Amino acid sequence: MDHMPENWGRPRNDVYGEYQSAIHNAGQGPQSRTQTPSITGTSVIAMKFDNGVMLAADNLGSYGSLARFTDQERLIKVGNETVVGISGDASDQQYIELLLERLLIEDNYPQDGHHLRAPHIYEYLSRVMYNRRSKIDPLWNAILVAGKNDDGSPFLGYVDLLGVTYSSPSIATGYGAYLAIPLMRKIVSEEADAKNVSEEQARKVIDECMKVLFYRDARSLDKYTVATVTLDGEVKMDKNVRCQNMNWRFAEGIRGYGTQKQ
Amino acid sequence: MYAEHFSEPATSHVASAPIEHQFYPYASNGGTILAIAGADYALLAGDTRHITGYSINTRFRPSIHTLENLGGPERAIVVAANGFSADGDALVRRLAQRAEWYTYNHNKPLSVSACARLVQTMLYGKRTFPYYVHTIVAGLDESGRGEVYSFDPVGSYEREQCRAGGSAASLLMPFLDNQVNKKNQYDAATGLPQVATDLPLEETLKLVKDAFSSVTERHIHVGDYLEIKIVTKEGVKVEYFPLKRD
Amino acid sequence: MFLTRSEYDRGVSTFSPEGRLFQVEYAIEAIKLGSTAIGVATAEGVILGVEKRATSVLLESSSIEKIVEIDRHIGAAMSGLTADARTMIDHARVESQNHRLTFDESMKVESVTQSVCDLALRFGEGADGEESVMSRPFGVALLIAGVDENGPQLYHADPSGTFYRYDAKAIGSGSEGAQAELQNEYHSSLTLAEAEQLVLKTLKQVMEEKLDAKNVQLSSVTPEQGFRIYSDDEMKAVVERLEGSEVPLV
Repeated sequence: MDHMPENWGRPRNDVYGEYQSAIHNAGQGPQSRTQTPSITGTSVIAMKFDNGVMLAADNLGSYGSLARFTDQERLIKVGNETVVGISGDASDQQYIELLLERLLIEDNYPQDGHHLRAPHIYEYLSRVMYNRRSKIDPLWNAILVAGKNDDGSPFLGYVDLLGVTYSSPSIATGYGAYLAIPLMRKIVSEEADAKNVSEEQARKVIDECMKVLFYRDARSLDKYTVATVTLDGEVKMDKNVRCQNMNWRFAEGIRGYGTQKQ
Repeated sequence: MYAEHFSEPATSHVASAPIEHQFYPYASNGGTILAIAGADYALLAGDTRHITGYSINTRFRPSIHTLENLGGPERAIVVAANGFSADGDALVRRLAQRAEWYTYNHNKPLSVSACARLVQTMLYGKRTFPYYVHTIVAGLDESGRGEVYSFDPVGSYEREQCRAGGSAASLLMPFLDNQVNKKNQYDAATGLPQVATDLPLEETLKLVKDAFSSVTERHIHVGDYLEIKIVTKEGVKVEYFPLKRD
Repeated sequence: MFLTRSEYDRGVSTFSPEGRLFQVEYAIEAIKLGSTAIGVATAEGVILGVEKRATSVLLESSSIEKIVEIDRHIGAAMSGLTADARTMIDHARVESQNHRLTFDESMKVESVTQSVCDLALRFGEGADGEESVMSRPFGVALLIAGVDENGPQLYHADPSGTFYRYDAKAIGSGSEGAQAELQNEYHSSLTLAEAEQLVLKTLKQVMEEKLDAKNVQLSSVTPEQGFRIYSDDEMKAVVERLEGSEVPLV
């Protein structure tokens, strides 16, 4: 029996070599709240159309380059007419979901018929994100909020880990900003363009974007969710959608890296 | 007595501190702002493009804010904080709130000079974690003359006739020095340096639109739309002018 | 006079059933024990005057300080527990300087008065059990005189935290008689020199001692010179002028 408590529960010296007591002796060092994301979700994309806003995000939770979870839901319905799409760290996403749940519960206590709309939720999230970045303790996410304005017009806003905010008729986070935005802006570039785009047209573009993202974003999945917020106050969640009509023949032609010999 | 159990082996290569990850709390969101004061107006203009890196986040994000004031529409103050947009938003929101409190506490309009000093105290208050913005405040003084104040990120400020801020400030400012303050301009007849005079509003508007159109050609962070807010004794007028979108 | 009220005298912030805060009322009473202070506002500026009651012939009268500067453009005269005024004056000075620093302009007289009055009710227990700053109300009243963009102004601030603007106001032991005199004599076209004489004349009437250049003090606030306490020579001159004007014409 080793009567020295500090030796208990440590790797055995006779098996693993002498215990590196520096690990134990290491001071706390500088205070470090800063994190790096571990389980992550890739792009969220969204665009307005004549009768609302459509969002999509795939169901992958990556652990670095490992496709760790394949059933992550990253489009969150908040209240009856708002959808929040979250990319980035999954644990911070869960925390944001918790905050939104609490916010909604608080909002429902008075039973006064008032409901939080997308702009209010967006404002709240913007404050949370900016305040956390100002504590150098960010929530490692980029978030899209989609829904309706008080006047019934469609709402779409972006906020990220720095607290940077902006609105646009088509927005995408992550690689979506490079791969999906050009496709979406082809039909909805200006606010006024959205009025000329039907839900079917929007869905076609969204599906196309998700396919392109699956082709080129290595941390993406061909299984995704499409959420549609319509101006009549309805939220449709189309889950487990699969990329259709993919063609990987081009892969054979790629030269310069990989296993091919010439 | 336990010391020997914990003494560090001479050959230890274990890190003695936790690994630190980098989080940089700032970003640059592009755009450019420009203010010019005249005899009976003050003007603050900025493009509406919002960027990160090479991406255009949105083509339309108006950035010139109006602080409503006591004493009628001509006492309104226009303000823009260009640079890291999250800090700019936070600064303008807090400023608007402080301006409102001022009118409640003192029951009089906040003058542009008082507003400028307030902006300084707010910026310098975050000296150790600055708002990463170039701020410009403009409006009319008690006699109706245009005033422009410009600030660095930590609150140094100065009253000026004109000032450009943001991504393309270094392109705009020399042009303004020449055209508004008549720097390096000499009278053809006498050979004496020209003296800066107040520009009429129409001329200033043309100057501002030309300046932004030109800067849009040369700077990728500038473009889409130009928003111009003009404070006169009639109040604040807003004008939009299309810029190139490439 | 107050003997029957003992039950609601205990807590400093407890209302009596009739809805009164006795401690605050007592504090206002305390001012009536203080020496008289008078303020008169004119279009040219404001005059503040106080009686410097010498309790001993050995007292150095110049050490009695009952008129103080708050800022270049504001001064105050006090009556009551003058030691309490230090807290208020200190607060007013800090607020006024802070305003200068934050807004690059002098603080309005009303705003300074308001900021002093904000202090007045911070006695008793804190709302959430937090430590309160003071155990009892202030036992002092202030006449705050100043000049700002709205011209010369005079304010009276009392221990209840209430303040009013006056053309002319007297506080302290002789205030009742003095206020009546001011009411009779005040008119809106007074000059600054006339206001000096009015203040002195009124003080003279309510003072127990014979008024001289040593036992009163005057100060003025004007747009041109800001706040100023009269020097010994100036005091001598205005008192002589008062005596001269009172020599019956034969």
